[in-house]
Amino acid sequence: MIEVNDLKKEYLEEETPTKALRGVTFSIDKGEFVSIMGPSGSGKSTLLHILSFLDRPTGGSYKFQGKSIDDMTDKELAHVRNKDMGFVFQSFNLLSRLTVYDNVEIPLIYSDIPPKKRSTLVEEAVRSVGLEEKLYTEAGKLSGGQKQRVAIARALVTDPNVIFADEPTGNLDSQSGLQVMEILESLHHKGRTVVLVTHETQTAEFANRIIKIKDGMVESDKLITANHLRSGNLK
Amino acid sequence: MLFRDAFKTSTRSLTHGKMRSILTMLGIVIGIASVIILMSIGQSAQDIILGQVQSIGSNLIIIIPGAPSNGRFSSPASAQGIVITSLQQRDVDALEREPSVSLAVPEVRGQADAVYGNNNVTVGFTGSTADFFTVSNLAKVSEGQTFTKSDVDSGNHVAVIGPDLAKTLFGPNINPIDKTVHLKGVSFRIIGVLGKGGTGAFGVDIGNLVVIPLSVAQKQLLGITYFNVIVAQANPSYDINFVKSRMTFVLRQDHGITDPNKDDFNIQTQADILSILGSITSILTLFLASIASISLIVGGIGIMNIMLVSVTERTREIGLRKAVGATDKDILQQFLIESVLLTFAGGVIGIALGAGVVGLAYFVLSTFFSIGWVFAFPISSVILGLVVSGVAGIAFGIYPARKAGKKNPIDALRYE
Repeated sequence: MIEVNDLKKEYLEEETPTKALRGVTFSIDKGEFVSIMGPSGSGKSTLLHILSFLDRPTGGSYKFQGKSIDDMTDKELAHVRNKDMGFVFQSFNLLSRLTVYDNVEIPLIYSDIPPKKRSTLVEEAVRSVGLEEKLYTEAGKLSGGQKQRVAIARALVTDPNVIFADEPTGNLDSQSGLQVMEILESLHHKGRTVVLVTHETQTAEFANRIIKIKDGMVESDKLITANHLRSGNLK
Repeated sequence: MLFRDAFKTSTRSLTHGKMRSILTMLGIVIGIASVIILMSIGQSAQDIILGQVQSIGSNLIIIIPGAPSNGRFSSPASAQGIVITSLQQRDVDALEREPSVSLAVPEVRGQADAVYGNNNVTVGFTGSTADFFTVSNLAKVSEGQTFTKSDVDSGNHVAVIGPDLAKTLFGPNINPIDKTVHLKGVSFRIIGVLGKGGTGAFGVDIGNLVVIPLSVAQKQLLGITYFNVIVAQANPSYDINFVKSRMTFVLRQDHGITDPNKDDFNIQTQADILSILGSITSILTLFLASIASISLIVGGIGIMNIMLVSVTERTREIGLRKAVGATDKDILQQFLIESVLLTFAGGVIGIALGAGVVGLAYFVLSTFFSIGWVFAFPISSVILGLVVSGVAGIAFGIYPARKAGKKNPIDALRYE
């Protein structure tokens, strides 16, 4: 599903080139739950932005579902982001004056899904994160954990193949963080691909594979076969 | 993205900041209201002027001495104070022989002090034939009578005066009929008072006019043998333009003119006059609207400024929308709709405000000041107001909207 080969990203910071990624190579199969870990400044967020089509690499290749990012226009990238990708951000990125319903509906208004079908999809997505009673509550009035669940509902509403989560528990207390990770885990169990970026080991261990990034390169790439530890870690 | 969704998203954004939206609209409201008010004033002035021309009488054709002016808006030589003696009695006789002309009424005009006792008023006088009262709708007597053909032929010193002059000279308690007034030392017995006052066509002050027999005016007051103008009434059985061409033919023959470019007279129908005046007042209206549009530009710049602030404030929202699938065009469309909605709503409110002010002004002028102002609220100004406000929304909204659409999703999401 995801194939990166010698991926590079270079920024210009005050006219000085900064190498955020120095040649990253790996692939992620459909249905995997992968954590990308690394310390602050390691390049993990940059990597997630490129994987989620929010940014383009400056070198190497990236194929998503067999198609190279280099062959796609910005409009096509937007279309793939809408149809095949869901996003969960650390800071939720909800529009606080809109209701839960309106927030979850946002990706649908940029999709080909006809307006008549939208309400069912929004209600299903909100129900799947257990917030059906908050459907018409303003997003700004929700707790942090509820906000992140709304963000997950928004990521799910277009039924994407892969969900990208960037530090989804970073702004949450441990109880809310656990709830959010359990939702992501259940999505993985239902067959969705989940790519998670975190610097917290206990959060990363919800995945069945951990790719560690250091100084813009892959430091390690390990499968986790027994993940019994994690239930205790977040609790 | 469906237009419906873009519209809904935009209205929601605007209603969330009601006070800001209202204040932003204010510039456009004032701009459009100014355009509406000034266009209405221009239209009212046009209606008044054209109404005066139409009120002179129907089927009238006016012959002025001198060559037709070259420019559309240049005044004829006679109006510039140049004495032209080309219109003579033989022209009137020739025109009266023409079957398509019902009446040909010569006029001479001058200015003199009208004196009655110790009262002295400077007035315009017109010397004409008895038919003057037949062709002109404005010259109808309310008291006494008009002078007759025999008064003109005999050179009787009789006069018909305007109602305002009657009031000024004689006051409310003296009946002016059979009283004597002096013009340039010549005495005239007043035999009639005109019914309507006010200003007639070409600025002739009907209320203060003195109408006297042509022969007396020519010989004793002005010392001339020519006419200042001939007013002809077309035979209603003929088309007015046909009559005009016949009159041109007759006068050319009478004056021995073979080259049409050397005409020493100028024939204008009411339609010609209306067309010229209509053009002048239209330019006046356009000029007024142009002045008002300056405030519209200022309002538009205000919209652009607020939209730029809005784009900056909502950078993270733009980032989120792009992350979940919005294209540059979707974002541009959303902000452009917001800007057009603001200006369009401002335009509608401005039109309503303009109409209110115009209506109120009309009510105050006619009720408290008895000014005969014409209430004009041209539909063209409403259409113009709506179109201009919509276009202003696009013109002043396109830059902020493009800026929003071009934002990089990552930079936008990271914006603090």
